[in-house]
Amino acid sequence: MSDDKFSAYANPDALVSTQWVEDHLKDDSIRIVESNEDLLLYDTGHVPGAVHIDWRRDLNDQTVRDYVGTAGFKELCSRNGITPETTVVFYGDKSNWWSCYAFWVFQLFGHTNAKVMDGGRDLWVSEGRPTDKIVPDLAATDYPEPASRDDIGIRAFHADTMAHLKAGLPMVDVRSPGEYKGEVTHMPEYPQEGVLRGGHIPGAKSCPWSTAANDDGTFKTADELRAIYTEGLGLGNADNIVAYCRIGERSSHTWFVLKYLLGYKTVRNYDGSWVEWGNMVGNPIEKDC
Amino acid sequence: MSYPAPLQEIIELSEHLPDPEKREVLISYAESAAQYEPTEGETFDLEDIRKDEECTDTVGIFLNVDDQGRASYKVELGAKVQTLTRAMTSILCRGLEGATLEEILQVPADFVPRIVGAELVRLRSQTVYYVLTRIKGAAKVQLNRLRAAS
Repeated sequence: MSDDKFSAYANPDALVSTQWVEDHLKDDSIRIVESNEDLLLYDTGHVPGAVHIDWRRDLNDQTVRDYVGTAGFKELCSRNGITPETTVVFYGDKSNWWSCYAFWVFQLFGHTNAKVMDGGRDLWVSEGRPTDKIVPDLAATDYPEPASRDDIGIRAFHADTMAHLKAGLPMVDVRSPGEYKGEVTHMPEYPQEGVLRGGHIPGAKSCPWSTAANDDGTFKTADELRAIYTEGLGLGNADNIVAYCRIGERSSHTWFVLKYLLGYKTVRNYDGSWVEWGNMVGNPIEKDC
Repeated sequence: MSYPAPLQEIIELSEHLPDPEKREVLISYAESAAQYEPTEGETFDLEDIRKDEECTDTVGIFLNVDDQGRASYKVELGAKVQTLTRAMTSILCRGLEGATLEEILQVPADFVPRIVGAELVRLRSQTVYYVLTRIKGAAKVQLNRLRAAS
């Protein structure tokens, strides 16, 4: 099933099954990375040999709202025994929100040898696959410092998003319908996170991230995804697309779907997202559409 | 404001630990959360079971108050509740055991980062405060009931 399912995606190599991961647990050329929203979940047990990359501690700069720089990325990879040749396989909770986010950050630094485990942590656990609490004692590597972080190709800043809006280019709001309409200022099942206004970026179309996921956290098939995004939203391979959510993690999931599973060429994640857009003085919003 | 003695003890044991040990302690607390779930046939003075819109799963708060006015809590957590919230549940059930309802209502939330560490109290882990809010809510309702009855 997985082979057939994966081969229909535009980039079948970007996704691996839980079985594939279990078959490669002893493969030294692979580093399995768990990235979660639940900060202590890794410590309760994880895929044997997996390392933990925490979105806030490891991927975010600690004093600027931004990602780590090239030196920080070098240090992160070296500390986790990753070389440029290492295949990094990401998985995590929440249907892979944060693993897609980590995958996306790795792409900012050009580490293209990366994959996401379909179904994430919940599927692995529900299938009764092995877990342990051993934090791997890895020999540090000397990951070469990337020449730069590519903030142009797959990342949209506020100014980019404003230009996108003015140009009338396609934008996807992947939050819940209630957030999109401005009925609520918090995510369903989450407390308020500092959002001052409800609504969405003018012109953005609503397509919640969850429409791309099955109940078990796996991605929907290529045909199902095309029905949602290509036929439903009218997005095409040649479109210049921006996706956003609240802080960029749910939109990383959609970004992965559009960029890797459907193969759209130009897809950017606006990681400033609604927490930035909705709160910024002078920014226009729409409600109730 | 002083904390109930058992909670004070947990705070003092936790706050000076280095982060890795803090995490280990929290995992241990999280894994012991099941022992604070109500058992079959157990009865309570107050039961408050609900799924709030801002929480990922159902949380049930169960309260008994003995004739000396000492409170005892049990908490039932849904499967989707975060590990940190499970840990805080254990800490609160243990730390507030035997406190009066008035004492519980006065417990400030500032002990949370002292136990958990500032690194873990952040965006997407704010539900760490949720169980305390629910426990206080139950204490307030029960206190009002007792006052009305007297």
